[in-house]
Amino acid sequence: MSQAHDTKSTSVQTERKLVKREVDILFDGTFEGFLCVVYALYYEGIVPLSIQAIDEYQPSITQEEQFIITDNDRAHKVEKAIVKKISHDIARRVAYAFLADTTDRYVNILNYIILGFKVGHMVDSHMQHDFVLRVHKFAREVGREAHKLTGFCRFAETAQGIYYCAITPVHHVLSILAEHFSDRMIDQSWIIHDKRHNKAVVYNGYDYTFVEVSPDSEPPVLAGNEEFIQNLWVTYFNTLAIEARKNPKLHRQMLPIRYRGNMVEFSKHI
Amino acid sequence: MDFQERLKTLTEGAKYDVACTSSGVNRKGKRGMIGSADACGICHSFTADGRCISLLKTLINNYCEYDCQYCVNRRSSDIPRASMQPHEVADLTMQFYRRNYIEGLFLSSAVIKNPDYTMEMLIKTLSLLRGEYRFNGYIHVKAIPGSDEKLIQKLGQLADRMSINIELPSERSLTHLAPDKSKPAIITPMNYVKNGIIQNKEEMKKFKNTVDFVPAGQSTQLIVGATPEADSRIVHLAQGLYKNYKLRRVFYSAYIPVGNDTLLPAAPIPTFDTGTGLIHKEYGPLLLREHRLYQADFLLRFYGFTAGEMFKNEEENLSLHIDPKCHWALRNLEKFPVEVNTADYMTLLRVPGIGQISAERIVKARRVSKLNFDNLKKMGIVLKRARYFITCNGKMAEKINFQPESIELRLTDNNAVGPYSQMTLSDVASA
Ligand code: SF4
Repeated sequence: MSQAHDTKSTSVQTERKLVKREVDILFDGTFEGFLCVVYALYYEGIVPLSIQAIDEYQPSITQEEQFIITDNDRAHKVEKAIVKKISHDIARRVAYAFLADTTDRYVNILNYIILGFKVGHMVDSHMQHDFVLRVHKFAREVGREAHKLTGFCRFAETAQGIYYCAITPVHHVLSILAEHFSDRMIDQSWIIHDKRHNKAVVYNGYDYTFVEVSPDSEPPVLAGNEEFIQNLWVTYFNTLAIEARKNPKLHRQMLPIRYRGNMVEFSKHI
Repeated sequence: MDFQERLKTLTEGAKYDVACTSSGVNRKGKRGMIGSADACGICHSFTADGRCISLLKTLINNYCEYDCQYCVNRRSSDIPRASMQPHEVADLTMQFYRRNYIEGLFLSSAVIKNPDYTMEMLIKTLSLLRGEYRFNGYIHVKAIPGSDEKLIQKLGQLADRMSINIELPSERSLTHLAPDKSKPAIITPMNYVKNGIIQNKEEMKKFKNTVDFVPAGQSTQLIVGATPEADSRIVHLAQGLYKNYKLRRVFYSAYIPVGNDTLLPAAPIPTFDTGTGLIHKEYGPLLLREHRLYQADFLLRFYGFTAGEMFKNEEENLSLHIDPKCHWALRNLEKFPVEVNTADYMTLLRVPGIGQISAERIVKARRVSKLNFDNLKKMGIVLKRARYFITCNGKMAEKINFQPESIELRLTDNNAVGPYSQMTLSDVASA
């Protein structure tokens, strides 16, 4: 079993023995929680069978499980260690990769961080390791989807004067969008509703909070002139097309079909 | 005409200006205002031809005093005419912006009365937006050739980017087809903008509260295919504009005949085949040519190429079959193959098929271990074209006859009328 380590010790023990253990590691699914998992596993030198968020938990054959409790101070320490020992960019990559909606992200990110503690910012040069490439791919996909959605989000004004937007992203990009729109639409109340993961971010003109939304919640009632403005936009959009240049293949590549359902210029015909 | 009709009419008149990037300036949101700007640019939608829509692109007025033959708004053109009031433009911009339809506004106008009067209208609209409406998002404004320096100065303090379109790539064509515009009428304001930017940078260093002057720089557009200038001339012109006028971007627009032209070649009416996804054959090559020009432009701006390296003489055109970098490489085969494990970054960039991202990845990865072709593949480097121009540890990917003809054969795009885009990558990279 593990030995108690001096938590202040920051020196990496290269001779550290890794112990494979038939255990499923569970945590609360938050980024802070995950950092605590990193903490526990790194300092105890355990390679687990799996790492899973509690609400997606699928027990494996061994049935041995260990729940890691989230401790914000500890999470903060790990985050600082990543910035200090590896790099700022890599801390950001880790945060983005964490938002990917894939089952194998946790283990791959863990390996990436552990290697990072060993080799510092050179970790990205170790592309012979599959997990380095995987983490890059996750972060890239999340970044790309979030960036696309900063443009593709469509708000509609509700009867209460709140701007409402529905999205169905593949990854958990809500937190990135919240940061973007709380800066851009700083004086406006808005809601972005992730219908795929049943979550929403609500901004009141000052702060934002994340909430769970029931899958069968009703869409909001819209303001009186919303229809008029939407029609103007659809008219504008349709006018911009230059017949001679049409190219559906390129169009699909730039604006994948799966985004279009939530965009008024594609869903509305006038 | 109701508002919707007017918007339609004015957009018709603005849509042939292909510049629709919102890049080049970073500006955080500010309490009490609405909006921000992102240096990388954000596309909010895409037209059916795959062009990015990021701005509300419209005109104040489309009833032009001038008679430029290539332009849909010219005096002699038989089209519906409309105008919008400054507050209507400002209001519409805000409504669209709050719904995240757009990244900002791209405003221009046909010449009403005279250039200075038109400029006043543009200034009025932007003042309203920045002042009363507290708009902090992106604004691109097209200045009017022949206008006064003071007005350019004023307009530039309200906009992020300013463009003055050259449109025709030679003075001869200009005199012929745009009789109301002279070369000095275009070049002089471009100079004002350039000097304004330089001066503004100086003042920024000295005084804290200096107002920005076109922080996202200036751009222009050239029409391709309406007049006989070869690509060589066009690319040389672009190079001069980047160098001497410090332009941020030059845009190229394949000429689409609009209305009943008399002086211009009546191009075939392009048709689109939904079955094959191909543009009518006679129009396709022009769009492909436009695409090649964007690629050449990219080589100028980011890959360290000069126009002189790309062309043998003034009358040469870019190849439609292979991209400009491949074309250059085939002419300079003595510089290849390049050893992936030792070549410096700029040399790697000159390898066909290797872009900035790939070159960066290679430089990073080879610090840890020597790279072979398998490693490259695993790293996501596309070897389709590059394989003929590189070695890994002294070995080529396969034995080939290292002659221009035999390599060219392997490189030729068999779907030459493929996806021609305005190179969105270049938009991203133009930050
Ligand atoms: S001045 Fe501008 S709007 Fe007027 S005809 Fe010439 S290009 Fe068109």
